[in-house]
Amino acid sequence: MSLSSNKFWRWALRKIAIYLAFFCLIFWVGFPVYYMLITSVMDPPELAAKPPNWIPQQPTIQNYREVIIGETGQRGDYGTTTEFSRMMPALLNSTFVSFAVVILNLIIGGMAAYAFSRFDFRLGRVAYVGVLMTRVLPALSLIVPLFIILRRINLINTLWALIITYTIFILPLTIWILREYFDTLARDIEEMALIDGATRWQAFRMVVAPLAVPGMIAVGVMAFMEAWSEFFFALTLTNSLTYPPLLMSFRNLHQVNWNALAAATTLGVLPPVIVAFVFQRYLVRGLSEGAVKG
Amino acid sequence: MASARIDRATAQRRKHWDRKWIPYALLAPALITIFIVIISPLLTTIYYSFSNVDLIFNRTTFIGLENYQELFTSRLFWKAIEINLKFAAIVVIVPTLMGLFFALLLVEDFIGRGIGRTLLILPWALPWIVIGLLWNWLVNAQFGAINGLLYSLGLIDKYIPFMADEDWALVFTALASAWRQTSFSAILLLAALQTIPEDLYDAAKVDGAGLRARFRFITFAWIRPTLTIVLLYNIVLGFLQFDAVWIMTQGGPGDATMLLSVLLYRETFINFDLGMGAAVSNVLGLITLGVGLFFVRLTYRSQAAYA
Repeated sequence: MSLSSNKFWRWALRKIAIYLAFFCLIFWVGFPVYYMLITSVMDPPELAAKPPNWIPQQPTIQNYREVIIGETGQRGDYGTTTEFSRMMPALLNSTFVSFAVVILNLIIGGMAAYAFSRFDFRLGRVAYVGVLMTRVLPALSLIVPLFIILRRINLINTLWALIITYTIFILPLTIWILREYFDTLARDIEEMALIDGATRWQAFRMVVAPLAVPGMIAVGVMAFMEAWSEFFFALTLTNSLTYPPLLMSFRNLHQVNWNALAAATTLGVLPPVIVAFVFQRYLVRGLSEGAVKG
Repeated sequence: MASARIDRATAQRRKHWDRKWIPYALLAPALITIFIVIISPLLTTIYYSFSNVDLIFNRTTFIGLENYQELFTSRLFWKAIEINLKFAAIVVIVPTLMGLFFALLLVEDFIGRGIGRTLLILPWALPWIVIGLLWNWLVNAQFGAINGLLYSLGLIDKYIPFMADEDWALVFTALASAWRQTSFSAILLLAALQTIPEDLYDAAKVDGAGLRARFRFITFAWIRPTLTIVLLYNIVLGFLQFDAVWIMTQGGPGDATMLLSVLLYRETFINFDLGMGAAVSNVLGLITLGVGLFFVRLTYRSQAAYA
């Protein structure tokens, strides 16, 4: 009797501890996000309520509508354009940049990773050093020389400035992860294909590439997230063409419409959040493999 | 027989032939672009730090260590170091502990675990700009959620203007960074926890190891390499964070959140002192590189110890 009740109490305590911790997690992650979501469906007077309405009394999609059609009555510094009208083009630009970065990364990084994996190089550790370096370098410090280079080739304030910069900053990580993948893939099957008369390209396309798909998805997802989220280069190399610096410029308006800003923020985080949820498994894999294993 | 041998010989020759230039062709685009976009700006920055860069007349004159001398004798630099150390302490401690806590929770079997794991990814999926805005909302003095919550609970009767206070501003900018980094840390630690073989625990139980012993000798020992990496990333973020802080405070109030990265931005883009900005960035780069190399050595040594 005493033993079994002891067991019961231990079980119960454990469950209570787990659900308390679970509640902490929900609160820690959920509270900030929830507040942004309810702000985005409130009107300004309701936002000013004190104490706040934790459940919006008259939820409205007005903010989203205004952001999407670009009419929030908020004028930019020069009073000529409505700042929020730049929102939808910026989202389109961000989409274009992100996809371009993913594709370029897979092609250029894939080629380099394959070379590192299949051929002996003195330079073999270059990618590793590169990963380490891009992770510890203050990207801020490269901006002035980079700006000068990009201005010389007339790419300042174009999407290509961002595509090139992001692609190359993500490259070392791509090479690192894909190389690990290629390394573990059956090299003997490939050698066999080569001996059977396949060319390197055929061997790559028919043997290596299909097996490397999970690694490529992981890398692609990581590149997408980085490209969508990057703020600093976008701020300095372009005039708010993409979503992150544009959000900052909303914030700097003389009178911020916080509700519209919340709606704009919510719209803009949908793509990375959806990608993260859908590719959760690959993402975790990419993250843990990208975290240089020394 | 003979034809097979010839075939093999051609295959070998072809392999030999493509070994010569194909790898270089495959590597060229990556290495050349990395050189142009990362290495050459890096070298330029190092050169700038020993120069006086005059943007108007487009002249760069070598001045030796003058920038560094001026930097190391300036009061603001040492203040930035102090602020940055406090900031980094929060950004290292909170995400590492909270991350470990959430990872240990989500490796347990309970109803809601799937939701928990998905929820965990959410902060990491948000861009830093959004993290900055989100936390600005939380701490806002007119309608901030933290003020609202404290008010609703009856703990305060007047909203507190957190970001006007030097200490609160530093704490909340650090917490904003910690919030996203907690998810990153937890994701890595959870992935490591999931690879622990269950029978290790069973064997330890049979041997009579208690909960604490099992945690220390199995769980902790197993995830130690990952924990090291998580620590490295958190320290590096503690020194390189810029976006969220810039969005929230731009270094203020006063100089209260003047991290080294903010100082670097201010010297370069507001004072247009490119040489000084480059000097700050080199100091910052040396700090993070030093941390990075230290941890690489640490992981190598612990791997050698386990092998």
